[in-house]
Amino acid sequence: MEEPYWGDEAVVVDCETSHFDRNTGELLSLATVKVVNHTVQLSSALEVTLNTDTHTDPQAVRIHGLRREDRFHGISSDEAIDKFLNFVGNRPICGFFINYDRSILNRYVHARYGFHLPNEFIEVSQLYIRYLRKKNPNLQDNLTFEHLAEELNIPIFDRHTALGDATSTALMYIKLSKKLS
Amino acid sequence: MTVNIDLRQPPFSFLTESQRSYLAHQLDMKFYAKGEAILTAGQHAPGIFIIYKGVVEEQGRDGQVFSQYGIEDIFDVRGVLESGCKHSYHAVEETLCYFLERHDFIELLNKNADFSMFFDSDLGSRELLIEQQDAGLSEFILARIDEDTLRPLIIIDADTTLAVVAETMKSEKADALLVQQQVEHAATRFGIVTGTDLLQAVLTGPYDKYTPVEKVATFELIGIDYGDYLYQALLVMTQHHLERLVVRQDQQWVGMIELKDLLSSFSTHSHIVAMRIDQANTVDDLVIAAGRLHKLIANLDRHGVKMIAITSLITTLNRRLMQRAFDMIMPLQVRQNVCLLVLGSEGRGEQILKTDQDNAVIFRDEDSATQAQPLLNEFHEVLLRFGYPPCPGGVMFINRPWAKTVAGWHKQIQTWLNNPTPDAMMNLSIFIDGEAIAGEVDLYTDISSSWRASHEHSIVASRLALPAVKFSPPITLLGKLKDDHGALDIKKGGIFPLVHGVRALAFEFGLHETNTLDRLDRLVTQRVLTAHMAQGLKDSLVLFLRIRLRHQLLAESMQDSANSAGLNQNIQVDELRSVDRSLLRHGLHRVKKFRQWLIQHYHLENF
Repeated sequence: MEEPYWGDEAVVVDCETSHFDRNTGELLSLATVKVVNHTVQLSSALEVTLNTDTHTDPQAVRIHGLRREDRFHGISSDEAIDKFLNFVGNRPICGFFINYDRSILNRYVHARYGFHLPNEFIEVSQLYIRYLRKKNPNLQDNLTFEHLAEELNIPIFDRHTALGDATSTALMYIKLSKKLS
Repeated sequence: MTVNIDLRQPPFSFLTESQRSYLAHQLDMKFYAKGEAILTAGQHAPGIFIIYKGVVEEQGRDGQVFSQYGIEDIFDVRGVLESGCKHSYHAVEETLCYFLERHDFIELLNKNADFSMFFDSDLGSRELLIEQQDAGLSEFILARIDEDTLRPLIIIDADTTLAVVAETMKSEKADALLVQQQVEHAATRFGIVTGTDLLQAVLTGPYDKYTPVEKVATFELIGIDYGDYLYQALLVMTQHHLERLVVRQDQQWVGMIELKDLLSSFSTHSHIVAMRIDQANTVDDLVIAAGRLHKLIANLDRHGVKMIAITSLITTLNRRLMQRAFDMIMPLQVRQNVCLLVLGSEGRGEQILKTDQDNAVIFRDEDSATQAQPLLNEFHEVLLRFGYPPCPGGVMFINRPWAKTVAGWHKQIQTWLNNPTPDAMMNLSIFIDGEAIAGEVDLYTDISSSWRASHEHSIVASRLALPAVKFSPPITLLGKLKDDHGALDIKKGGIFPLVHGVRALAFEFGLHETNTLDRLDRLVTQRVLTAHMAQGLKDSLVLFLRIRLRHQLLAESMQDSANSAGLNQNIQVDELRSVDRSLLRHGLHRVKKFRQWLIQHYHLENF
C-alpha cells in the first residue's frame, strides 16, 4: 500500500458522519467507487453503513438521513475500514473537500493499524479552481458542491448519500481531468 | 443509488422486478466530452450504452451519419451480439451514459425470452411486442373467428316447405338456416334463409307455408374465412348491410357468425357508430355520427386496437358516411349519372383523423353535369359539416378540374400521360389512388382501365416517382444539426416517400389496389419487390401511422381542439418514448433503403 501508484485508476470517496467535526465526528456510512478513464465503476462500488450506536446530531441526520435505527444492520467500523483499505489499495483518493474525509478515515485507520493513509489525495474543488484560473484568472470562486455541479453540468444523484455524492464527485473528477490535460 | 433512467419503459419493462434490480446494480456510468469517440467501427462492443444525458452520433467509415441517439436510447446492441460494431459512435454533446457489460447484458437476454426477442426480432414483431405490452391483448377485436364465436350450421333441403323451415328455426332456436340445393351434375349449392325472409315471403310476398324454401332463399352467400379477425367480419357486415355471415373452412361451410354475438362482445362502440350512420334519416343525424367517429378513433387507440384494424374500420365508416350523405342529397335519377371518387389518402384507405378532403366526380355526360352541379355544392357543404376541412390545393369536386365527364377524364388522363410535368404528375398520383365510393361506380372502372392500358408506363412512372426520392429521409433526429427544434415532419420524411414510391410502382405495373399495404403485397406476388423489403415497408408504414396518430391525439388533448389535429405532421422527437424513437429510426432506415432501390429502378441518379 505504501508503493507509489502507477496505474490510471483513482477512487472517489465520500463519508457521512454523525456531526461535522473532523476530530469527533463518527463515521456512519462510506462509499467509494473506482474511476477508470471514462468510467465510474458503479457496479463494483463499495457502499457500507456502520452499526455505531453513537448519538446522531439532529442537524446531521436531516442531511444524510441515517437515523440510529438505520445503522443497526451495518457492519463494525473495523470491518468497514478493512473493506475500504482492500478496495482502495494504493490508488489516489479523490473527493470533494477530501481533507475532511481524509481526517475522519485517518482517525479510524490509525486507531486500528497505527498508521495514516499514505495515498495521494486529490481535491476536486482544487481541480476546479485550476480550471477556472485557466479560463479566467479573475473569476470569483464559489466552491459549494451544488455550484460546481451546476457549472460543470454534472447531475446530482441522491444528494447526501455517500454513493450519490461520490458518483457526482467522480464525474466532476473525470470531466475536470479531461479539461486540464 | 437511484438509477436516473426509466427502467419501466420498453425494452426494460420486459424484465421481471428482480431482473430489473439486477440490471440496476450492474450499471456503470461513463462520461464523454463533446466530440469524443465512444466506439470505433470494427471494435467488439464491450457492452451496451444507455444514454442518460447528451447526444451520440453513429457514423459510417466514410463519415456518413447513420443515426443519432438521445436520452434513454440504447446502442450498440448489434456490436455486442455480432462480431463487432459496424459503425463508429461519438459524443456530439457532452454525454453521460449508463453502461452494462456485455456478459451481464447477455445474461439478461438468456434469462428473459421477451427481452431477447425485442432485440433480435425484426421491426414488425418488435412493434407487435410493444403494442401487446401497451394494450395487454385483451381486446376482443383482435380475437379470431373460432369455435367459440361460431354458431353451428343447420342445413335443410331446398324443397323443404316454409312451414317446416319455421318449425326448424323455432326448435333449433336459430334465426337463419343454410339451404342445400342440388344442381346439375350432382353438384350442390348453398343459400341462406332467415326469419325475416320468411316473414316477408308470406306476409308481403306471393308465397304461403307450402312454398319450397328455395323460392325465398338467397343463393349468393357472403362468407368469411375461419381464423379471420372478428373485426374483419364486422367490416364485411357493415359493407354489405348484413347481420350474419357464413364461415368457410377448407372450401366447406362450417358455421355462422352473428352480428348480435359480435355486438355483445365488442367493448368499443365501432358498431354503434356504424348503426348510427346506417339508421340516419337526415343529414343532421349524419353530422352527429361523424362527430362520434373522432371519439371512436381515440377510444380504439386507447384500447390497443391494432393500427391496421383502426385504419380499415375508420375507412369503412368514413365511406359509409359519405355514401349515405351522397344518397340523401342526390336523387336516384341524378346519382345514376354521377360517380363520387375519394382520392389521396382517403382513396388508399389510410386516413385516420380527418385531414383535408381530396375528391372528384365523374359525370356520365354534360347534361348530367348540369343537373348535378348545384347538388354537389350542397354535398360539399355537408362534408364541411362532417369535419373534413377543404383541400388547400383545391382537389375537390366543386372545382371544375376535378369534376369532368367520362370523356373529359379520358382526355385529361391522356394529357397528363403525354405531358408529364411535375404538376401533371402530382395530379395523376392523386387520381390513381382514387376509389369510387358512391353514385354510379361503373363510370370509374372505364376510366381507371385507361391509364392501366397506357404503354408509356415506365417513362411516366419514373417521372411520377421523382418526388419520392427528392428528400433523403431524416435519419439524424437529434442533436445540434437540427434547426427545427427537434420536430420531425413524419409525412415528408417517412410516409410520403414510402407511399409515393409504392404508388409509382403501382402505376407502372397497372395494379388495381389502392391501399399501400395491398399494393405492397401485390408487388411481391408480381416479383417486383422481395417479400423482405415489402414486409419492412409495411411495418414501417404502420409504425409511422401509429406514431403520428398518438402524437396527434396527444397534441389535441392538450390543445382541446379537434379541428386541425389531422393536419399536424410534426413529431416532437425528444418527447417520444425511447423505444418508439428506436423503432422510428429503423422505419426511416427502411424508407432510405427503399429510396435507393427506387433511384436504381427508375434511373433517377442524376436528378
